[in-house]
Amino acid sequence: SQPLPGHQATELQSKVVPSKQILHSDNMEMEPETMETKSVTDYFSKLHMGSLVYSCTSKRKNK
Amino acid sequence: RMEASCLELALEGERLCKAGDCRAGVSFFEAAVQVGTEDLRTLSAIYSQLGNAYFYLHEYAKALEYHHHDLTLARTIGDLLGEAKASGNLGNTLKVLGNFEEAIVCCQRHLDISRELNDKVGEARALYNLGNVYHSKGKNVASAGTHDPGELPDDVKNALEKAANYYEENLTIVTELGDRAAQGRAFGNLGNTHYLLGNFRSAVLAHEQRLLIAKEFGDRSAERRAYSNLGNAYIFLGEFETAAEYYKKTLQLARQLKDRAVEAQACYSLGNTYTLLQDYEKAIDYHLKHLVIAQELHDKIGEGRACWSLGNAYTALGNHDQAIHFAERHLEISREVGDRSGELTARLNLSDLQMVLGLSYSTNNSMMSESHVVENSLNGTRPRVGRRHSMENMELMKLTPEKVQNWN
Repeated sequence: SQPLPGHQATELQSKVVPSKQILHSDNMEMEPETMETKSVTDYFSKLHMGSLVYSCTSKRKNK
Repeated sequence: RMEASCLELALEGERLCKAGDCRAGVSFFEAAVQVGTEDLRTLSAIYSQLGNAYFYLHEYAKALEYHHHDLTLARTIGDLLGEAKASGNLGNTLKVLGNFEEAIVCCQRHLDISRELNDKVGEARALYNLGNVYHSKGKNVASAGTHDPGELPDDVKNALEKAANYYEENLTIVTELGDRAAQGRAFGNLGNTHYLLGNFRSAVLAHEQRLLIAKEFGDRSAERRAYSNLGNAYIFLGEFETAAEYYKKTLQLARQLKDRAVEAQACYSLGNTYTLLQDYEKAIDYHLKHLVIAQELHDKIGEGRACWSLGNAYTALGNHDQAIHFAERHLEISREVGDRSGELTARLNLSDLQMVLGLSYSTNNSMMSESHVVENSLNGTRPRVGRRHSMENMELMKLTPEKVQNWN
């Protein structure tokens, strides 16, 4: 799980200065969101590694 | 075999997304979905990553779709951890889309399952997400009105206080876990929540912690964010000199990071800060820098705002020629972008300047004679941005909280 680079709710306003910021500075800088991550290898390793390890070790034993 | 092919495509998608090329990653994941697989856990992982890739690409409707598929699948196969993750991602996506109530339900589900599984890391992350949803909810309602930080209706205040509580709860856990990066994120957003609540001293304390952690990690983007947020908080504490110092650090880092938009933002903040300090030469210097970048980025609205600020600063210095030049440019740009309130402000500014310079100016400029029509069309309502005279005497006061009112 890793944070994604910060995105800002896109205002259809200035690319630089938010609409509310007329005189005072009101451009808060938020921290990035964190998204939960999954990977096909998480499941792949659980599913297939067992049998792979088994086949390797059994081959070795057979030698 | 088809199975291997789907897996291979998905693995390539993962590799590309990790390398930062989400667009290409998405193509591979979608190809993997097309090929299909009977392994529902693999499919769930593909949906989840597709959702995150679209989130990263700011295509939130697509992100929503895939995280929803992932959630359904996780529930179908009884994968509780998978369900928690999908719920969290769905919650974050719903938040960005402004659907706060559903976002809260999803993030709460993430939290409940994490607690059920005694998953401390998951619990902390769910608390952070919940904080973010309540923060966005509060900010969203607040921005519909015209409030300054610290002047809030009850529903906004409630949402922001909930956000602060969730960030605090998150901080307790991530501190126990010794996760400094997560602490940094929580401090940053907690600081911004305190800022909106008008607790500017608490905001400073949180952003100082954020700054410390950013430096520990050598994370210059986070460092720049902390400087900028500290500058904002010091503005509202009425400590403009300190604010200027932080904005200068922001500007320095923005230049190092070669982020022109952020550089422009820092110049604009500095221009405003020096206006508050009544050092109009410096204000003009920074507003001109902002203007140049706004033009470079083809940012018409930013350009208009720079012209408005420059017009005010030149008026304060008594340089009426430059003031008129920028007021006219502001009017032109406001018309071009269809900014009605900007147009009204520009007309009022020009008519003020006309008064100062005498009537001779109006005879060779047709824009001037129209100004009375605009004032009639206001039907007694004042434009939000006042005349320049009032800017010096009143607007600054209105825009800054009571604490600052003795600044001059």
